[in-house]
Amino acid sequence: MSAVASVIDRLRARIGVEGEPVTGVVEAGHVKRFAQAIGDPNPRWEKEAPPTFLVALAPVSLHLSEAEEYGRGWLNGGNRFDYLAPVRIGDRISARGKVADVYEKEGSSGNLLFIIFETNYVNQDGAPVARLRGTMIRR
Amino acid sequence: MTVKVGDELPVLVKQPTTRQLVQYAGAQGDFYEIHYDQDYARGVGLPGVILHGLLKAGFLGQLVTDWLGDRGTLKSFEVSYRGVDMPGHAYACKGRVTRVDGNDVELEVWGEDEAGKRTTVGTATVEMHA
Repeated sequence: MSAVASVIDRLRARIGVEGEPVTGVVEAGHVKRFAQAIGDPNPRWEKEAPPTFLVALAPVSLHLSEAEEYGRGWLNGGNRFDYLAPVRIGDRISARGKVADVYEKEGSSGNLLFIIFETNYVNQDGAPVARLRGTMIRR
Repeated sequence: MTVKVGDELPVLVKQPTTRQLVQYAGAQGDFYEIHYDQDYARGVGLPGVILHGLLKAGFLGQLVTDWLGDRGTLKSFEVSYRGVDMPGHAYACKGRVTRVDGNDVELEVWGEDEAGKRTTVGTATVEMHA
């Protein structure tokens, strides 16, 4: 078995296995710094989190050191957010992530490895607030 | 104000700087070196440091929430990164309404580099308040 095939097999074995939940409080100061970094002055972010803020609350991609044996760098392929309930300042959010899929594809300058991550976010009342699906690429 | 298919969102032009990439890296907690270390970025085959995909998503999120205001609720937001963008170059965020079905509205959003190439494309769905 080639080294590449073995990396892909090991990663595929992780599909569907949920990581430990990561919990964080949506802090006013953190949301403010996040909105400032985007350059978004909307006063609304004094009370609630902007659409992409949840990525700052917990790691969006599980650290898969094995994947780094493939190619030489990471690329972000895309993100999809589904919003189920508002995320307000002071909320205590638990994020739980898993690898949803792993596959290899032929690119214009060599093969690429795609790793699809899914994260579910739940608030302090146990209510789901959002889902995130991210495509990370090793090239 | 009634929303109809073909309506364009007010264009949002960003002027990202290396400083902003560092600021964003800290705020998100994404310290991948391709966003602030020129030598590292070139070492992995990039032309230099590049914008975080999620920073571009943040710009497009701002485009949508600025347009939407308190008229409705964002239900989903999806972006694909098709090309790299570098600090020191203007990044224009644009969008238009593609579907209206009762209170459900679908938008097409994208980010363009200075040559007009769509390096980020996406969609958003919103539910307008009745």
